Amino acid sequence: MGSLTAFVMYAFALYAGYTSIGIIPIVVGISLFGVWGSYYSSDKIVLAMTGAKVIDHETAPQLFNLVHEITIASGLPMPKVAIVQDEAPNAFATGRDPQHAVIAFTTGILEVMDREQLQGVSAHELAHVANRDTLVSAVAATTAGAIALLSDFLIRMTYFGGGRRDSNGGGNPLVLVAALVAAILAPIAAVLLKAAISRKREALADATAVAFTRNPTGLRRALETLASDSTVVHQKSNAVAHLWIESPLDNKMTSKLFATHPAIEDRIANLRALEKTGPSAN
Amino acid sequence: MNVTFIVVGIVVLLATFFIVQYNKLVRLNVAVDEGFAQIEVQLQRRADLIPNLIETVKGYASHEKETFEKVVQARAQATAAQGVAAVAEADGMLTQALRGLLAVAEAYPDLKASANFLSLQEELSGTENKVGFARQYYNDNVRKLNEIIVSIPGKFFAGPANVAAREFYAVNDPGKRDVPNVSFN
Repeated sequence: MGSLTAFVMYAFALYAGYTSIGIIPIVVGISLFGVWGSYYSSDKIVLAMTGAKVIDHETAPQLFNLVHEITIASGLPMPKVAIVQDEAPNAFATGRDPQHAVIAFTTGILEVMDREQLQGVSAHELAHVANRDTLVSAVAATTAGAIALLSDFLIRMTYFGGGRRDSNGGGNPLVLVAALVAAILAPIAAVLLKAAISRKREALADATAVAFTRNPTGLRRALETLASDSTVVHQKSNAVAHLWIESPLDNKMTSKLFATHPAIEDRIANLRALEKTGPSAN
Repeated sequence: MNVTFIVVGIVVLLATFFIVQYNKLVRLNVAVDEGFAQIEVQLQRRADLIPNLIETVKGYASHEKETFEKVVQARAQATAAQGVAAVAEADGMLTQALRGLLAVAEAYPDLKASANFLSLQEELSGTENKVGFARQYYNDNVRKLNEIIVSIPGKFFAGPANVAAREFYAVNDPGKRDVPNVSFN
């Protein structure tokens, strides 16, 4: 999002005639401001975007209690708990640090899952909070944006030869083509990198969740329920897709490399392996 | 390059390293203390539920005197216990006594159906979960601390930081590992 803003501003600036290098820090600064602004207020922004309503202990005592239990096990402060009106079962966590964390559940997930499964899901979401995954995503987004900007700038440097429109041939055409290809591929590579980071953090969240609950069965059964349920969350916004426990983007269309979550069968298999060898194996 | 700069740089790096290691030990030690305080908070919650529970059960099964005695005694001991080992032992005994009480209640269908009893049972079950997680958190931190103290470089900082190995919270429950926990889903 931040890089898009930066690109638009950059393109506008170029059109208006500014080709000096000095524009770069300003544009990167604006991009940073965008990304880090949304990171800082991520709890309020995401709540507004998803229409989630923060609840208290009286509204949903069982849910509150099971989240509270995970906070005891993990040493985290109690996050805000919210509910999203949506029949699709899903959940997410956001917030710039554990003190400002929010975790939300759809009405769908609260209906289809039992206490053990819900506790597994809560543990997974709180694991994201504990591992500071909003911060990791913000850094990844900034880096990806900066890479895209830099590559774009490099094309212009190579092509225009530093601002001089020299009619004596700008440079070796092969270098130019290579630079163009690299510059086009660089942003794609940045997105692929962001997706790879996201997948690793999801796997880490699964493992951390088991460290909290010492009960892989809960999360595993929850993922199995999610795998068999084909309803998809209504909000398919790209910006927050990576936050949900089950990716709301159509998995068949999206190539595996662009997926923000590991394949759900792999996640279930990993948890089964833990069930066999882990501390809860009786 | 100026030799002074290099020397100052090395000193700063070393100082940072020492500070970080020292703080790591101290923080873990405080986390262990916090963990134990948490256990006591949850155990206190459980202890507070018990008088109400006993009264409710007495209403339907007044002649089960032995069971009540056991629970009351175990509760008194648990409240009086000090220090990790004593608290852990009293915890185990109270858990066992409570299990006995709930087992007795199984034989009285009127009691089992009463709303009061059901809500108390739910609260007790929730509290037992919290006690379990509190024990887990405490033991996790004790493990981390004990590991660091015997490894390098933690070994060398344990003395200066005044941090020693801590005791694990070992609940000596001769019964099943399962705690009285009946969930109504």
